[in-house]
Amino acid sequence: MAVRTIAFITVLLISLYCVSGCSRTEKDKDRFTVLVFKHGKIAGDPELFRELIETFESDNPGIKVKDETLPASTDEQHQFYVINLEGKSSEFDVLSMDVIWVPEFARAGWLKDISHLLPWDEREKYFPGPIQAVSYEGRLYAIPWYIDAGLLYYRKDLLEKYSLSPPETWYELIDISKYVLEHEPGMYGFIWQGKQYEGLVCNVLEFFWGNGGDVLENGVSVIKSPENVEALYFMRDLIRSYKVSPPLVTTAIEEPARHIFGNGKAVFMRNWPYAWNIFEKEGSPVKGKVGVTTLPSFPGKLPASALGGWQLGINRYSKNPEASEKLIKFFTSPEIQKRLALTLGYKPTRKQLYNDRDLIREQPFITGLYDVFMNAVPRPVTPYYMMISQIMQPEFSAAISGIKKPEDALTSAHEQIEYILRVEK
Amino acid sequence: MTSRESDRGYRFVAPAIVLLSFITVYPVLYVFYLSLHRRLLIFDLSRFVGFENYLFLLRDDRFWNALKNTVYFTLSSVTLELLAGLSIALLLNRQFRMKGLIRAIVLIPWAIPTVVSARMWEWIYNTDFGILNYITGIKVNWLGSPVWAMNAAVFMDVWKTTPFVVILLIAGLQIIPKEIYQAARIDGAGNFAIFRKITLPFLKPVILVVLIFRTLDAFRVFDAIYVLTGGGPANTTETLSIYTYKILFQTLQFGYGSTLSVVVFMFTGCISIFYIKAMSRGVR
Repeated sequence: MAVRTIAFITVLLISLYCVSGCSRTEKDKDRFTVLVFKHGKIAGDPELFRELIETFESDNPGIKVKDETLPASTDEQHQFYVINLEGKSSEFDVLSMDVIWVPEFARAGWLKDISHLLPWDEREKYFPGPIQAVSYEGRLYAIPWYIDAGLLYYRKDLLEKYSLSPPETWYELIDISKYVLEHEPGMYGFIWQGKQYEGLVCNVLEFFWGNGGDVLENGVSVIKSPENVEALYFMRDLIRSYKVSPPLVTTAIEEPARHIFGNGKAVFMRNWPYAWNIFEKEGSPVKGKVGVTTLPSFPGKLPASALGGWQLGINRYSKNPEASEKLIKFFTSPEIQKRLALTLGYKPTRKQLYNDRDLIREQPFITGLYDVFMNAVPRPVTPYYMMISQIMQPEFSAAISGIKKPEDALTSAHEQIEYILRVEK
Repeated sequence: MTSRESDRGYRFVAPAIVLLSFITVYPVLYVFYLSLHRRLLIFDLSRFVGFENYLFLLRDDRFWNALKNTVYFTLSSVTLELLAGLSIALLLNRQFRMKGLIRAIVLIPWAIPTVVSARMWEWIYNTDFGILNYITGIKVNWLGSPVWAMNAAVFMDVWKTTPFVVILLIAGLQIIPKEIYQAARIDGAGNFAIFRKITLPFLKPVILVVLIFRTLDAFRVFDAIYVLTGGGPANTTETLSIYTYKILFQTLQFGYGSTLSVVVFMFTGCISIFYIKAMSRGVR
């Protein structure tokens, strides 16, 4: 009886092992190097993306690429990488990472140092923000693939109608909103993202930076600075006293904001570049009526957008590092970035493409983005970022929804961040 | 049972026990082991700290807030679901035309995946486009207000899981013999007396099963609220599972995250034991 049980379990385990381990076709393995490329959902037609991979395969005989799509939510992608990389998985070679993960993964030792792929003269060709975001202790652990940054969308038609020009400071934005709202009842002034999530941190940091504030300086928390307190008060008052932002912004993420603006119900909106293509589609109520510009700042200060976007890196445990490097070089090359921009709307991380004639003809909107991307600032570049963000999210949420006074929220965040930063000591 | 027979019994269950201990007991012990460590993946830090994490938990305001939210959510949602479920089950247990169809319609909320229904409710609660404010003609920022957000989550959960309660209770109602009702009628019992003296006592075991399932599920609630509010505004809807998830998988603090998991495990363990005791008393 006991022998049979053991035999049964052994057979079970062996079959389990075979199911999980032997499923990759052995034949392919002998003839080709098979690279596994993990990335988020491709915005648009996956066939177009597949074509690029086929181009790579025909340029590099002997390498086959299996591209695998991760769940749509960024949190789930992060979770997938963490579990697999902590388990030293070599099941994937190239991974695409959100801009805030690179220092964390690099600190954990999960990424291959690929500084040699971008010598200094090459780095100059990229926007400065993403290069800063993929660096950790002077080394590069990923290459910027495509870029995103916060923008101010405005109703070009309405501003023209009342002969107003786009705002350069936040106070101008309030004045313009109030003026337009007086003449156009039933609209909102300014829509942004205030739900308790990562996007709220982007929104708040843009106000901090636009007032000369920041979160960390030389590895020390400076979050409760007077500039930040003023900026956070201002955000709360957009809703509370100026009333140009409706209370619903405290629950809004990108899509609800995009819907409101896209239905012609708001004068201004803060959002990422993706919304533009949707507004310009046939049948959109705001087609041809939308303008974009750099986010405003506080008087006398410089504007700054939160940097987003995705980077390509190599799994430290990958068995095919050379082939992986080729794939990354290919996908970040000027030609492929241009094709990605034309077909899928992924904004290039290389500056030169913003002068590209084909690209400007197809997407005239892209020229206006150059300045925005040049001024895009990465969220604190530190392996502690995910912990710091978890501290900031509820505190910012409390401040803008009027549960806590802004200075109290920032003091509390400051204390928690100081505690986190002491963790290693 | 003779001792030889019981020996044989043990041998029969042995494979199941081995398998179960492999997939449940081992992970539970491992999580407990982790909870005694300061373990931070990104810093490659793993140090034994004894019960330090548990002491930190006692001082952690965010934990107490999450616990308070979880208890509030569990008590209010389970109570409402049981009351609503019982009323609907009693109604659907009567004879009427298109009974099958109506029963199927009632089940729809239960059949919709949680994340989908949470997204749907997010729109229903929307201040501006939401149908709730449109119908009621008021302008409440349901998910943005610290007062309403948690109740909005409770209401969504009641909408979603009452059908589950209804199915179980209908099943329970159907096994009550008709003759008992007839006898009671002949003896002149009124509706309320019949409900109190016959229906409720017969339903008691099923109600306990419902309570076990619903209490445990509600206590561990994650996806519904996570999608609806993400724990906001300002953590007013953050439950223990959401807090644990954030600590474990977003900030990668495996030591403290495991401590939180152990605490959730102990709470659910106590709830189960309480109900199982109540059940065995009820059966006797």
